Amino acid sequence: MAEKAKFKCLRCGHEYEDKYTPKVPQERTCPKCLSNSVRRIEEKRKA
Amino acid sequence: MEDEKLRIGVFVCDCGLNIAGTVDCEAVAKFAETLDDVEAVVRNKYTCADPGQNEIKKAIAEHKLNRVVVASCTPKIHEPTFRQCVADAGLNPYLFEMANLREQCSWVHQDEKEKATEKAKDLVKSAVARSRVLEPQIESEVAVTKAALVIGGGMAGIQAALDLADAGHKVYLVEKEPSIGGIMAALDKTYPTMDCSI
Amino acid sequence: MMDAGRHQNLTLLAYSEVEHVTGYIGNFNVKIRKKARYVNEDECTACADCVESCPVSVPDEYQQGFSSRKAIYIQLPQAVPSAYLIDMDNCLGNNPIACGKCKDACEKECIDFDMQDEIIDIEVGAIIVAAGMDVYDPSEMDEFGYRSYENVITSMEFERLICAGGPTEGHFVRPTDYKLPKRISFIQCVGSRSSKNGNKYCSNICCMNTIKDTLLLKDHYPDVQSKVFYIDIRAFGKGFEDLFMRSKESGVQYIRGIPGDVWEDPKTKNLLLSVEDTTIGKVQVHESDLVVLSVGVEPRKDMKKLQHLLTLSNSVDGFLLESHPKLKPVDAPTRGIFYAGCVESPKDIKDSVTQASAAAARASIILNAGKVEIEAITAIIDTDKCNYCGVCARVCPYNAITAPDRKSGVYPTIIQAACAGCGTCASECVQDAITMRHFKDDQIIAQVDAILEENNMDKIVAFACNWCSYAGGDLAGTSRLQYPTNVRLIRTMCSGRVDEKFIIHAFKKGAPLVLLSGCHFADCHYISAVTWTQRRVERLWNKLERLGIRPERLQLEWISAAEGQKFAKVMRELEEMRKKVTDKEVKETMEILAKDEEKAKAKKAKQAAAG
Ligand code: SF4
Ligand SMILES: [Zn+2]
Repeated sequence: MAEKAKFKCLRCGHEYEDKYTPKVPQERTCPKCLSNSVRRIEEKRKA
Repeated sequence: MEDEKLRIGVFVCDCGLNIAGTVDCEAVAKFAETLDDVEAVVRNKYTCADPGQNEIKKAIAEHKLNRVVVASCTPKIHEPTFRQCVADAGLNPYLFEMANLREQCSWVHQDEKEKATEKAKDLVKSAVARSRVLEPQIESEVAVTKAALVIGGGMAGIQAALDLADAGHKVYLVEKEPSIGGIMAALDKTYPTMDCSI
Repeated sequence: MMDAGRHQNLTLLAYSEVEHVTGYIGNFNVKIRKKARYVNEDECTACADCVESCPVSVPDEYQQGFSSRKAIYIQLPQAVPSAYLIDMDNCLGNNPIACGKCKDACEKECIDFDMQDEIIDIEVGAIIVAAGMDVYDPSEMDEFGYRSYENVITSMEFERLICAGGPTEGHFVRPTDYKLPKRISFIQCVGSRSSKNGNKYCSNICCMNTIKDTLLLKDHYPDVQSKVFYIDIRAFGKGFEDLFMRSKESGVQYIRGIPGDVWEDPKTKNLLLSVEDTTIGKVQVHESDLVVLSVGVEPRKDMKKLQHLLTLSNSVDGFLLESHPKLKPVDAPTRGIFYAGCVESPKDIKDSVTQASAAAARASIILNAGKVEIEAITAIIDTDKCNYCGVCARVCPYNAITAPDRKSGVYPTIIQAACAGCGTCASECVQDAITMRHFKDDQIIAQVDAILEENNMDKIVAFACNWCSYAGGDLAGTSRLQYPTNVRLIRTMCSGRVDEKFIIHAFKKGAPLVLLSGCHFADCHYISAVTWTQRRVERLWNKLERLGIRPERLQLEWISAAEGQKFAKVMRELEEMRKKVTDKEVKETMEILAKDEEKAKAKKAKQAAAG
């Protein structure tokens, strides 16, 4: 079920890919600055 | 209760030099006096000590305070102390509020005395604002099941379980392994007495 | 140990595991799985008749694998309970046609291959966690040759070899030739005090354990020459220095320096250690018949599971975090739970016993009192506002809310005794039908307003949960870590209490930056409340973006009570971010949110008019 998704760190701006399971909240840590302000960015927005 | 006029007492603690060494407590106290509904402001050297607590009790009686704000250390240490103190003076303990001027101000801004004092004022202001809308609460009591569970049957678990059992309590001792004793059972002799472990 | 098996107030559940814990101080409900032994524990007399008949032989864990045991076995002769068990992973006779030899051998007919795991439900008022520790496994490091050379053993293995009840019946021999080793080297701090291998902390017990071992050797084998390689000897307890002196006087050599390399002479199987003696600054090579690695202590491998079971946190070293390091060293942050022994930190027997007695006394206070007061911070519901959506019942980590039923008009009810006060339901309820006592909406909003009334541009509004991030902030204070003054903390019991509207309100009042902080997922004091915080923040980031507000202005951070360093670091970083938020941006945000509020109001009015 785990898919890949893009994430963006709202602290340092770093963008990266990571595993992602829809609807299961997960603790995320930016690999660059170690912040937890990591947001998933949807690439193709379903309009 | 609703229409009762607010009468807030603010107690600013020096904590020796722990707070007063960085924060200008006099300025904070002066500032507190300017806040709405504040009836009494008292400075203490150590609010948590008996003399400090007595001052709180005295002020509650004298000024008919119905809210108490203590600006001192973290609520994680002394909230229970002060709740008890105001309760002793007849005030509902939930009408008490704390501002953390030590762990989260004086100790972490030691080189910025002025800014720390400004922050301290803000913290007091915020605590006072919160205190205005506090409501009395009644704590509920629940009965305690008179039994204990001890997880782990090593040295420590056995000792704790036996002490509790000797004190007359029912104890369940749960051990993962087929027999108790833990790591200790695998030792030959033990220090400092150099005797057998079993 | 024997006493524990006999005491009338004590129920011993060996070979059992705690599976589930619910409830709160005074009233914990615990589910325990008592694993099947396949031998009737009460009937077995440990006569050992069965053992001879068992055809299976496996390494004996208790003897550190130096000898073997059968599939039907007892851990040690003095075991309590004194009963055999069958290790089903190795037994052939699960299906009795295949073997079942032991069953025939047992006269008392104690053996039952159909025995099932038993689930036991108990109720207790207090819990003492004494789950112990693990011993460091030096296989991961190679410099001392533990994996490669048989004559390099750990201190735990040493214990079994020298023990009269051990595999060699107390004849101390080395693994390769079963001869008495004449020269023994002890290497200290293996897996301790190292940032490379094992753990950074001092394991507390290994120095004294080695000193004890050298004395044991002197006692049994006066000719054996022991050398101890150490960083420094920590003999700080009562009577410890005496033992150390005795060991030195008996001729044990103490050499300050840890071997850089250990290699084997393939012919003699002796070991060569090259060490810099730091007292003289010279590298020397020592030859030894046996090397004993004085291994450290670490948190149990299953610690996370245990923490999750009881909602406990750990300190940086991985051991369980106490309520207060000086004033409440035996109490867990969760009321009604206490620590004894090495789950809390590495300690020797005396300290473990001391802490255990303290824990028992602390637990007794509650049990004797017979009642406890529950803080008045629970949720209450205003059914007039409720529209039966049921979200509260779904999000409550404690199942403290019964689900509503629209059809029959049944409102949700909140079981006060089960509510822990995390506030997640109150934050998730769109109808605002739930009030948290002592953490009401207006009480929190009042704090936000007070903070932002003046000089709003200078301030960072931060929400922190009582147990972790607020405690982490306190630790930064206790450790005197300095950070910028701009942050203003608002404490709630759990980050789950932080309602969307508090954050929006803060932006509306001109906050340049808002931080929401809580416990790491594994540390959450309210089981899973923090996962709802995460969801809420993700929702808010989307909302902010939709409204044209930079989502970056809402920051999220998980900070544990042990992470004072992280707290200070986050505060420094946030201050840098705050400086970059312009007056103009904040004003725009305030306008956007004011407009959005108008729109929402108009919509509501329209709905009211229509409905
Ligand atoms: S506050 Fe938390 S524990 Fe209490 S009812 Fe609401 S969700 Fe459940
Ligand atoms: Zn980052």
